[in-house]
Amino acid sequence: MGFLITTLIFVVVGIIASLCVRICCNRGPSTNLLHLTLVITATVCCWMMWAIVYIAQMNPLIVPILSETE
Amino acid sequence: MAESHGGGCCPPMDLMRSEPMHLVQVIVPMESAHLTVSYLGDLGLVQFKDLNSDKSPFQRTYAAQIKRCGEMARKIRFFKEQMSKAGVTPKETIDKEIDIDLDDVEVKLGELEAELVEINANNDKLQRSYNELVEYKLVLEKAGEFFASAHRNANAQRSEIETEQVDEDLLEAPLLQEEKSVDTTKQVKLGFLTGLVPREKSMVFERILFRATRGNIFIRQSVIEESVVDPNSGEKAEKNVFVVFYSGERAKSKILKICEAFGANRYPFSEDLGKQAQMMTEVSGRLSELKTTIGAGLDHRNILLETIGDKFEQWNFKVRKEKAIYHTLNMLSLDVTKKCLVGEGWSPVFAATEVQDALQRAAVDSNSQVGSIFQVLRTKEMPPTFFRTNKFTTAFQEIVDAYGVAKYQEANPSVFTIVTFPFLFAVMFGDWGHGICLLLATMYLILREKKLSSQKLGDIMEMAFGGRYVIFMMSLFSIYTGLIYNEFFSIPYPLFASSAYECRDVSCSEATTIGLIKTRDTYPFGVDPVWHGTRSELPFLNSLKMKMSILIGVAQMNLGIIMSFFNAKFFKSAVNVWFQFVPQMIFLNCLFGYLSVLIIIKWCTGSQADLYHVMIYMFLSPMDDLGENQLFPNQKIVQLTFLFLALVSVPWMLLPKPFILKKQHEARHQGLSYAHLDETDESLQVETNGGGHGHEEFEFSEIFVHQLIHTIEFVLGAVSNTASYLRLWALSLAHSELSSVFYEKVLLMAWGFNNVFILIIGILVFIFATVGVLLVMETLSAFLHALRLHWVEYQNKFYEGDGYKFAPFTFTLDGNEDE
Repeated sequence: MGFLITTLIFVVVGIIASLCVRICCNRGPSTNLLHLTLVITATVCCWMMWAIVYIAQMNPLIVPILSETE
Repeated sequence: MAESHGGGCCPPMDLMRSEPMHLVQVIVPMESAHLTVSYLGDLGLVQFKDLNSDKSPFQRTYAAQIKRCGEMARKIRFFKEQMSKAGVTPKETIDKEIDIDLDDVEVKLGELEAELVEINANNDKLQRSYNELVEYKLVLEKAGEFFASAHRNANAQRSEIETEQVDEDLLEAPLLQEEKSVDTTKQVKLGFLTGLVPREKSMVFERILFRATRGNIFIRQSVIEESVVDPNSGEKAEKNVFVVFYSGERAKSKILKICEAFGANRYPFSEDLGKQAQMMTEVSGRLSELKTTIGAGLDHRNILLETIGDKFEQWNFKVRKEKAIYHTLNMLSLDVTKKCLVGEGWSPVFAATEVQDALQRAAVDSNSQVGSIFQVLRTKEMPPTFFRTNKFTTAFQEIVDAYGVAKYQEANPSVFTIVTFPFLFAVMFGDWGHGICLLLATMYLILREKKLSSQKLGDIMEMAFGGRYVIFMMSLFSIYTGLIYNEFFSIPYPLFASSAYECRDVSCSEATTIGLIKTRDTYPFGVDPVWHGTRSELPFLNSLKMKMSILIGVAQMNLGIIMSFFNAKFFKSAVNVWFQFVPQMIFLNCLFGYLSVLIIIKWCTGSQADLYHVMIYMFLSPMDDLGENQLFPNQKIVQLTFLFLALVSVPWMLLPKPFILKKQHEARHQGLSYAHLDETDESLQVETNGGGHGHEEFEFSEIFVHQLIHTIEFVLGAVSNTASYLRLWALSLAHSELSSVFYEKVLLMAWGFNNVFILIIGILVFIFATVGVLLVMETLSAFLHALRLHWVEYQNKFYEGDGYKFAPFTFTLDGNEDE
């Protein structure tokens, strides 16, 4: 469940970011498309990294073995 | 030559493809030529072609004007030298409103140069006489002292002689007085010479004089404490005053010659006390006169230099501008019959109205009866590549251009590079503490942008300043990945929730042998903070980061292949879509896409399957049973299918395309029509760039070999490029290990001593190590590797990069030209 919810959060953040960029720098359709592409790419990259790290820890095969000291 | 993108579903994206350019021809009447070129230079949107390239520089129309400008530039350089020697700085700002005439400037420069040269010559002469007089004064002083002391001694001696026997060997005896006190039958006529000799040569001087005159001289030297300016060389030197007493003409000539050889300046000195005093006052008077004269001369020169300094930048700019204009005018061909100049150049399509506007204004301003003609030419030559970038995207475009300038209108990798490059950097850099440091540094550069851009910075600072927006993006992404890796100067923090792991039982007896177990939900954002410092940290993180690198790599390579699909669609090449894009996608995804899917399935199910084993045996023995390596049902069938598809896609990439191209070529030639302008396939080297008829050569064997190389490159590259992405893991591991070492072995160790001084030293060492190794070296290292991943693994899927950059004629980039 945590995975889906956080994915949804990423989607929402992405949409908000693209809206913000559209509002604050609206410079013609071709430039807007470029900005949108950049925001979507950044969101996808960030989500991908988070998702990989999250999924890798869902069913771990290795567990932490504390070191001797302390 | 611009084709509309896709099917009109979305507008063409800024920066994706280079601006459409056209070849324009401009015919200008002679009288408005100069003004036209000047206005076009101000506009900065036309790249002129050199129509007189076969002529030597001296045969060109405007060679004389260029020589004039060269002369003026030389004079300006001379002024600049003089100003910097005198310490006068020219006024920085230029009054752009005042338009000055080149002829006026030339005349003024000539006058000023003559005046300056004259002043300098006079100054030198005066300075020389001044120095000589200073030396003369010193000689008068010191020699005067010597003779005075000699007189005193003589008087003392005389009184002694009257009472005692005289000792003949007294070298200190005043010679002049002794002459009178001894037998007057021997009248030895002694002469003397006074002067100055450089201190380092003084001993040798004395010795040589002694030897040359066989010891028949008496020399007395006296050290001058301050250094004196030598009149001949103009430099300060340490000198001694010498007095040489000799007898006889031969000795005198020898001494004179030796003095000349040693560069010792001689000055006349009279024995008479009265005359000495007179000379002294005279010399002092002349010295002070000369000093005021020299002072006045220097003042006059400085005033002159300051007047030059006021106008210097303006003249400099004007001369360089005129030179550039004449160079460009030389590129236009002279149409003698029509008394006009014809110019050809590349210009962006969007600038057409502006260019015509400039032409019209020039025609009006130069009062010519005829206006200029502007027309567009059709050509098969490849236009230059021009991207309209702003201060943010310029740095990224330069990064891409450093590898190769994009071919005209092919997809520009820098669109996605703006995000993926900082992202890949951050994957290798991941530490939010270091990210914040980078952010602060780059915010300083960005906030002081205006001020720093007008200053002259050193080479390294120049590069860092130019890339400030790149570093800004890099730092933002680094903070994000640092939060994901959970590293703040290598210390993890449970920022988002508590750790998911707990001891198996209350006593935690097995924590160091078997380890903890996962009881709560997965740590919601990033790596669980419990991992840092555990014994199994490295196996876990290595496995995680390696698989992450593969996933990211496969994603970026797929993006690259999709970019090649965009190119194929834009240039309307169905061959490239069906016989290059499709088999490439199939090959890459059947093997490495499948691997990525396996990774995700393994993570999701927590299976213990060995992925190395799975992948290798998929090739070695595909028919074998998978056994415990089964990750999903029917895996064997799926694997066999993928293997078959991958094997099929190789000849699919290799064989059909050359034959189809051959058929197309034949069809074209049978139709006897011009080739379509958009049939620019990557592998089709048919059209040479020389324009004209488009004489097409079609060497089938060449095409085939080219396709073979391309296929082998792709197939082998699929494996090697995927493995190459593992550097993301490697550098990230290096960074976190270094950071952890600096923290534990420096800071914690210093803390453990409980001593303030050791703590302070430890903190200093930690700061220097962090800044030097992690913030500078690691940044450069990760930057370089991210760059390599883009240039090679990403761009070789679609980028050709054999275009040339648009270099318009403009005045704004006149940096330090020295033509």
